[in-house]
Amino acid sequence: MSLIARAKKYINDKGGLWSKGGVDPLLVGLLAIIIVVGVVMLYSATYVYASSSEEYGNDPAYFFKRQISGIVFGGLCMLVIIMTNYKIYEDVAAVVGTFASFVFLVWALFLEKHNGTQRHISLGFIQIQPSDIAKFAVILTLALILDKGHKYVVSKKPLQSRFATTVNRCFKHPVLNQSLPVIMLCGALIIAYAGLVVAGSHLSGMILISTISVAMLYFGEIRGKWFAFGLVAVIIGVIVVLNTDVLKGYMQNRIVAWRNKDFEPLDGRWQINQSLYAIASGGLLGKGFGNSTLKHNYVPEPQNDMIFAIVVEELGFILSSLLILVFALIVWRCIVIGINCPDRYGAMVAMGVAVQFGIQTVLNIWVVTDFIPNTGIGLPFFSYGRTAMVMNMIEMGFVLSISRNSRIKKRI
Amino acid sequence: MTSRSLTARRGVIVLFLIVVIGMGVSMARLLYMSVIDKRNYREKAENQQLSVDSTAANRGKIYDSNMNVLAQSASVWKVCVDPSRVTDDSVEKDSGKLVQGNKNLVVNGLSTILGIDAAETKASIESRADKKYLKIKDGVEVNERNKLLEYIEENNLSGVIFMEESTKRYYPNSELASTLIGFIGSDGNGLSGVEYYYDEVLTGTRGRIITAKDAKNNKLPNASTQTVSSVSGNNLVLALDQQIQTILQDALKTAYEETNAGNVYGIVMETKTGAVLAVANIPDFDPNSYKEVLYPSLVEYFKKYGKESEKANPVQAAQNTQWQNKSFSSLYFPGSVYKVFLVAGALEEGVITPETSYNCTGTIQAAGRTVKDYYTTGHGVETPETLLVNSCNCFSVFVGMKMGVDLYYKYFDAFGFTEKTGVDSQGDLNPKAGIAYHDPAISFSTSDLISSSFGQSISVTPLQIITAVSAIGNGGKLMRPYVVQKQTDENGNTVVETQPEVRRQVVSAETAAKVASYMSKVVKNGTGKNAYVPGYRVAGKTGTSEKTDRTDDAYIASFAGFAPYDDPDISVVVIIDDPQGDNYSGGIIAAPVAGEIFEKVLKYRGVTPVYDDDEISAMTGETPNVVGSAIAGVEKTLKDSGYTVRVIGSGSSVVSQMPESGKSIPANGVIALYTDSETPAEKVKVPDFTGLSVSEVRRVAEVNGLNVKISGSSDGSSGVTAYKQDKEKDTEVELGSIITVYCRNTSDVHD
Repeated sequence: MSLIARAKKYINDKGGLWSKGGVDPLLVGLLAIIIVVGVVMLYSATYVYASSSEEYGNDPAYFFKRQISGIVFGGLCMLVIIMTNYKIYEDVAAVVGTFASFVFLVWALFLEKHNGTQRHISLGFIQIQPSDIAKFAVILTLALILDKGHKYVVSKKPLQSRFATTVNRCFKHPVLNQSLPVIMLCGALIIAYAGLVVAGSHLSGMILISTISVAMLYFGEIRGKWFAFGLVAVIIGVIVVLNTDVLKGYMQNRIVAWRNKDFEPLDGRWQINQSLYAIASGGLLGKGFGNSTLKHNYVPEPQNDMIFAIVVEELGFILSSLLILVFALIVWRCIVIGINCPDRYGAMVAMGVAVQFGIQTVLNIWVVTDFIPNTGIGLPFFSYGRTAMVMNMIEMGFVLSISRNSRIKKRI
Repeated sequence: MTSRSLTARRGVIVLFLIVVIGMGVSMARLLYMSVIDKRNYREKAENQQLSVDSTAANRGKIYDSNMNVLAQSASVWKVCVDPSRVTDDSVEKDSGKLVQGNKNLVVNGLSTILGIDAAETKASIESRADKKYLKIKDGVEVNERNKLLEYIEENNLSGVIFMEESTKRYYPNSELASTLIGFIGSDGNGLSGVEYYYDEVLTGTRGRIITAKDAKNNKLPNASTQTVSSVSGNNLVLALDQQIQTILQDALKTAYEETNAGNVYGIVMETKTGAVLAVANIPDFDPNSYKEVLYPSLVEYFKKYGKESEKANPVQAAQNTQWQNKSFSSLYFPGSVYKVFLVAGALEEGVITPETSYNCTGTIQAAGRTVKDYYTTGHGVETPETLLVNSCNCFSVFVGMKMGVDLYYKYFDAFGFTEKTGVDSQGDLNPKAGIAYHDPAISFSTSDLISSSFGQSISVTPLQIITAVSAIGNGGKLMRPYVVQKQTDENGNTVVETQPEVRRQVVSAETAAKVASYMSKVVKNGTGKNAYVPGYRVAGKTGTSEKTDRTDDAYIASFAGFAPYDDPDISVVVIIDDPQGDNYSGGIIAAPVAGEIFEKVLKYRGVTPVYDDDEISAMTGETPNVVGSAIAGVEKTLKDSGYTVRVIGSGSSVVSQMPESGKSIPANGVIALYTDSETPAEKVKVPDFTGLSVSEVRRVAEVNGLNVKISGSSDGSSGVTAYKQDKEKDTEVELGSIITVYCRNTSDVHD
């Protein structure tokens, strides 16, 4: 069979190249709101910073323009994905995504490290954040494995090997059952991702990838007892992190700065204090769009993690809460789309994206409000970063593509 | 997939976790931080945004009583460079064009305008190339600053070279009254003297400019600015008189050099008000560069006599010493000067009367101790007046024993020796009972009483002594000494004026008058005769005491007095601390200094001299004006008047004369008359007068064709010798010039 014939057969098996059915209008609307508000607030938060910095050519629209270019490119990708049948990507996307993200992660590791936190690699015209790609690759790969291997995952049949038979004989139920190889495969993949990310000094990326992976395994119907082990591991991890200095210097400082509110070094507590000043200055109703004081070079790098603090300062608690509500609705909608998706693969991708989006939003706001130590997680669609923007839009494209196939009663 | 499947159920659980717990907590936390707990952080935010720039207030000036400026501030600038904006020449990548850097402009401009080394400047800019701030020069004055501003403008170097304004304190008279005026530190606060004591008055109130600023200290858009203007400090007008200060300072400096003393202190006070007219301490310093040790001899002194710590760091010890106003703050044994107060107290209490007589045999037995007088042969029969005139220790001990501890202490206390003087300046010492002096409440033995009677074993400060001596001259009223006459605001309006303040009546006016007349006899006939000034009726007392802090033979010679004795204008105290050589007695080395000060200051203050008969007979005439007269007649007239006349030239009438008319010369003085204007003035060499008696001085002068003016003791007694002359030996002067020769009595002035 020729290659084209093979491809044709593949596409036909998946149900054709093009998607049918309507796109979920609610999610489209919510995304439109969040993308527009996000980029406008990015402009408001960064124009003083960018205009006063030679590094950014004193161009007040430096971040705005670049973010727009990310939105345009991401939007094109999104459109293509929405139009096409997401199932055709199942095998290809997982392989390509895994391969690409591993290459980028290893590449980044080899790059000269800067401040212990250099996470991007430069492709000349564009800089790529490998962990942003890795996050989605994890979702796609785990969805593929857990979908294909579902019958093994839920199987209680004992594993057919001499060793397994010997072990199983000692228990009432077969402990080493057929789900084991699948879980081990997933586990190895997750550890490889998380390990590569954390080796690149990207603790927050590791936390995100781990959380997303756990959620994916959970969605993949892996039995609950496995998560008990995971929970124990997380608790041990948290205890270790809080009580020892296994972490690199800058991470350690962030934790100390969180626990000790009077932590002195400017770089230790400065950023989070400025964030709290901004939030407190905003109050219930905010200072009004464009009127932030703290963006006048008080909040360092306002384009990054702390952008939400400036949003609160300008828009106030009420409007900011509405934004959080929009974020929550997006998560809800993605999950609903997943639940109503007829195939497991689509369901898992949609719900994985929901988890990634939700966790990132929650962790970002918790950091900005000094509820947890500073982790360095950006706010989706708000924080500056073209890789993140493009990836977020591709992910949402998947969810929207899935929604065309989803059997949601269009009642909202 | 159905909504009942496991995946779906788990999806709902995760949705619940994220939305309810995650987003819920987020909102709650946000509500807490932005609305509930906002005050704390909001205030902090506002505080960090409000930048308060404080603007300096002008520090008040310090004037002397004639409004001569003693201290004033002026703006100076600190010149800085932002090395990160200094650029090298470079070649533009694309066009290959040479782009001129500004480094040479910066370096050349700075070095030519500020007169600093170009290579050094360049090196220091390069060594801090990535920094934003490099100080180039401090204390740049307005002229250089303006030139630099122009240069910056011309060469577009704004921001590369910049200046920060500050103020500098100038003391136009350098050392003049430096220990009294003090100095300010680099932070602009007074560190010593009046500058320290009146720091708050002089400083004024800093102004404030409150603006909302961004983190880079730029004004925020639309931010309002609140300005509170600064209030200049008040000016101080001192009671001090620059002229009198100069007289005192010069006299003390000469004494310091002649006696090789460790320190010399002196105060001139207005007797009836307590106003401090002059204070000097030698060695002193220049407040414009107060760290510099002006007198290397002071460093040598500490190397030789200092405590261990001072020997280790003599320069620092010298700095600390030169900054001190020791006239106010140093304790010393007053010695015989104290006898004035002993006698005053005893007379007041009726322990003795002016008629009390005592036979001095040269020794006195008291409390099992034998006290010897300087004159071991004894002064013979004495009255209280001769007690002071002879400075008799035996009689003093007798009077002291007769008074007893309580009465002695009563007057020691009453004359102000147990308390601060209340002077408005730094260094007003608070003497400690039991340490500085004997206090009956602590311990005051008979043995202490004996030594206290002639001023040993009790410590006082020069300021206490001059204040107490002034009380004698001031009818028994003890005044509060003061330094600042008035405070004026920046427009010159008087804000506060010091009124003379009577602390108490120590002794009755009658007693005071009596003691004052005794003191005038001390100067006329006794140990103080070297302070004698014809016509000014100086009253005073000499003192010589052992230094408290040294084990070897070290002395303090002093003189304290006032003039004219019956209606005093000024009081003077002169203290020579640790004079070297054989002459260490107050009567020999301190009294003539005081006499010179009295003479010059009283003349300056326009006090009319009142001469007694002796003085009138010793008076010399004034030279008549004979210019234009025919030579024949004039020569005869002058010769008949007793002058020695020298005619020079071949003309027939006098063209010029030497000395000019109206000069005071001896009755047989020399007058040179020139009869034509072609003949050059005849010159003579000044002979060496020192060591000669008064009559010898006059004779030698006549022989050499010179006129002499005798200053100091001139009573012609055998003990009086010349010790100083205003023109050095072998100086060429015109025939008939007047040479001042200073004489003093070195034989019968021991106290």
